[in-house]
Formats: sequence, C-alpha cells, structure tokens
Amino acid sequence: MAVYDGFEAANEHLLEVAKACAAAAAKAPTLTSNLGLRMEILTGEDLEPMIQVLETLGKTSAFQLHDASAFRTYKNEGILPPVLLLGADLTQPPMWNCGGCGFSTCGEYLKYVSRNKGVGVGAYGPTCLWKVIDFGIACDYACACAAHNQAEARMLFSVGAVSLFLNRLEGCSFILGLPIGPVGQYRWFDRMPWTKILNYEQRMMTQLAGAPNLFMAFSGGGKPILKSKPRWWENPTFMKVETDEAFIEAEANGQAEVYEKIMKLAGVLDDEDDQKDES
Amino acid sequence: MARIHFNEWPLYSPSDQNKKENVLMVARLMVNAALTAPFTGGVHGCEAEIAHGQKELEKIAREMERLAHEEQPKKLKKPFLYEAAMVRESDVIVFLGNFRAHTTPMDASCGLCGGEPDCSFVYDRRPNFNGVIDPTDRRRKTTINGPLCMLRAHDLGYAVGSALWLASTHFVDAKPCYSVGLAGRNLEFCMDSEIVVGILLAVAAKNPYADIPPEYHLTNMTNLVDSLRKIATITRQIPNHPYMVFDPTRPVGDKSDKEE
Repeated sequence: MAVYDGFEAANEHLLEVAKACAAAAAKAPTLTSNLGLRMEILTGEDLEPMIQVLETLGKTSAFQLHDASAFRTYKNEGILPPVLLLGADLTQPPMWNCGGCGFSTCGEYLKYVSRNKGVGVGAYGPTCLWKVIDFGIACDYACACAAHNQAEARMLFSVGAVSLFLNRLEGCSFILGLPIGPVGQYRWFDRMPWTKILNYEQRMMTQLAGAPNLFMAFSGGGKPILKSKPRWWENPTFMKVETDEAFIEAEANGQAEVYEKIMKLAGVLDDEDDQKDES
Repeated sequence: MARIHFNEWPLYSPSDQNKKENVLMVARLMVNAALTAPFTGGVHGCEAEIAHGQKELEKIAREMERLAHEEQPKKLKKPFLYEAAMVRESDVIVFLGNFRAHTTPMDASCGLCGGEPDCSFVYDRRPNFNGVIDPTDRRRKTTINGPLCMLRAHDLGYAVGSALWLASTHFVDAKPCYSVGLAGRNLEFCMDSEIVVGILLAVAAKNPYADIPPEYHLTNMTNLVDSLRKIATITRQIPNHPYMVFDPTRPVGDKSDKEE
C-alpha cells in the first residue's frame, strides 16, 4: 500500500504520455508511405543545453524568450516536462514531379539540393512539399495523443530548431519539440512565467506594431497620428519606416553569441569561460 | 415507430445510403477537427469541402484516371488508378486545402523553402508587390504551382492528421491521398488552395484501403461482382430446364411424391 501525491504522480506519468505520443506519431498515416520519422524524448538535464541556447536567442527575439522563460521556470520549480522531439529528413522527395518545391521535376530539385542545401532560422531546405505535409500529420498525431491524455502540450518550433543545431536526431532537416506537461493549466498558452518578463509598455508596443491600423487616427491628411497613449492628440506620434542600425547590430551580435553558445555546448569550443560565468 | 436499417451491401441500396449518412456525420466532425488543429502561430489557413453521392464520387475517380493516363509520372500511374477504384468504394470524401502556402507565407525565415536564412526563395520566384504575392495568374507549368511556403504547407499536415484521428476514433476507415486531393482541386474543391489532400472515408467490414491485390483497378470487388453477373447470366442458359415439369436432380423414371 502506498499514498502518492497526486501532482507528483501526474508529473511522473507524463513520460508515459510522451511515449504514447511517440507511438501515435509512429502510427500516423502518410501520403508518401516514406516519411522516415525519427523521435527522441528528452528529460531533465538533457534539456538544459536547449534552454540555455533559447535564453541566449531570447536576448534579441521574443518568441524564443517566451519559451526559454517557461522552461527555466518549470525547471526551477522541479516540474520540467519531458519533450518529445520529432524529426525527419524532408529534403528527400517521393519522385512525383509535382512542382510544389518550385522545380519542374524531382531530379531538378535534387540537383539544387545537392549544391544549395542550407539552413534558415530553424530548418534545412529546400523541402519536399509532400514530406513536410506527412511530417505535419505525424506531429499532429503526437499532439492529438497528448490532448486525449489531457496533457498540457504545444508544438514548439523553438526547441526543435535548437535541438537541430545541437545535433539531436542527426540527419533530420527539420525538428519540432513537443513538451508534454507540466500538469496543470495554462502551461504553454497564457503562461504565468511570462507575466514577469514582458511589461505593459512592451505588450502595448507589440500590439501597436502588429496592428498599426487599429490605433490609427484619421488618415486623409496623409500622415495619420498613431494613437500610442490615452490622450493621443497631445504631442502626437507618427509611424515612420526606417532602417534600424542599432537593432540590426544587436541582432547580429545576438546571433554570434548564439553560435558561440551552440559551439560550446556541442563541445566544439572550450566552455571554461561559460562555467566561470555561471559560478 | 420508425426503423433505420443499415447494411454495407448492396452498394447505394437504402440500407447502404443510411450507413453513408452516418459517415457523412463523421466527415462533418472531421472538418471541425481539421479547422481546430494546431497551426503555425495559430493562424487560420485551412479550408474544407465534402463530396458524397455516387455521381460526385464517379467524377472525382474519372479525373484521377485522367491524371494517371495523361499527366502523372509512370510511378504514380497505378497508385492513381488503384485509388480511383477506392473512391468508388468510399462513402464520403473530405477535401482539406491550405490557401496560404502559395499566397501568404509565414515570413519567418525558417529555411524550409530554400535553405536560406530568409524567405527569398519564394519571393524571388513568385510575382509580388513589395512582398504581397499576386496569385491571379493561375496557369500551371507543373502539377502544383510552386514554390510554396513550406511552413504553411506543414500546417496542412496537422489539419489532415486531426481529421484522420477523429475518423479513427469513430471507427471510420480513412485514407489520405495525393491523387484524390489533386483531382478534387482540379474539380474546384477547396478552390482557394493550391495544395489539397483528399481523405477517403468508408464504413465496411473490410477496410477498402488495405490488402490491395495486383492490378486493383481491374480486380476490385465492383469488377468481380460485375464479372459474376456477366458469367452467371451466360452459364444459366446451358443447364436450363422446364422446372415445372422436370427436375434434373431426380433419377430418371422416379415418379414418387414423397418428401425425402
């Protein structure tokens, strides 16, 4: 006989749910019958490198900071959830010559891939249309399984991309990460950790940048006031399109820091300095 | 008191039609699942359309057969023909399309489309005005008018996945097909989308999408039944007899009237 703490037991159960999600993804139907899905479940300390890189990325990009802050908080609270990584090499086409990739035949596409395969913010390309759809079906099955187990989950581009750069699931051109848990509510949407990161001013400016139209006064004069405060007609503010050298430089520096971090974590660079910093 | 009788055979009999109505209900729920599937950034980009009825399905099957013979590479000829046969054995088809992949990319520099740290691969190859893509020239040099935003295309997988998951939890056999989607798109199902997947749905004792024998477009059940009707009609004309006055199973000369 034993008495278990309900939340602790539920959090422990999440690894079993993650395994069920992996089984669901493996069972997902495909269009090409040849997806070559690969998966890994990361837990505990094995997630630390991903969180660190996300934190570095988060210095210049909100959406990575959004995920980094959540992972860090959950780790500090001792409820870091398992993360199911799903990946595949989506550069290999089924030779259907559909043209979806932008080339007239799969042969032309493969010729381009052999010379120009490269990487963007979070994935290698070019990509085969039908492989990326099949990969979506598999990822969806993992999500659906999590939902049916009433587990908090959200497909994360960020942690997948970082895992790709940290050489998880080697050979995959695209990786996505699905945290399964922690148990509770609002773990990945309307996140509590985020309340402490972004202040009101930042939230308001993000909304303004995302929908300037909504905050725009009469535009007939040709230079509409942008309503950026309650008494917007006093000391009016306007929209201006310009290059932002300071931002571009900060982003470039941020990228350099990220690459350095990745190299250290991957063991390519000595990470002694980093350890000193942390101590 | 009203009764509703269900039976999968004969095809399109009232009992089969009743069963098809059940499948149609699931198909409609599948559309809910597809529309609420997880999408990149939570952005709506999925449209859906349902086809059912013998004639509607026949038109789709014929377009698939046309594609098999006229447009598709050799390796897809038989899959397309086999899947056309499966269309005729299906109850309902759900089409799911993504209307963003060819018009409104995610613009996230993900790298999927061209392996570059920007979206230049798509924007350099599609007519656009300061990043607003012009989709009005709908002529196609290839089956799909690419390149596409692959992150948006990836979204279509989630829609298809959730729809399939729902079908499977309701014990409806389902099969997602490139061929069906293509034929549907050409027939203006999900007409805002360049990429469409067709999901075949059937309720039957034997999943009509599994255990496929060779030359299935010729050897499927419909052809077997037709063949039986054809041969049985001829065969019966040989052992014919005036059955009111003659029973060939009785010995010659046996005139007794006793039950055995």
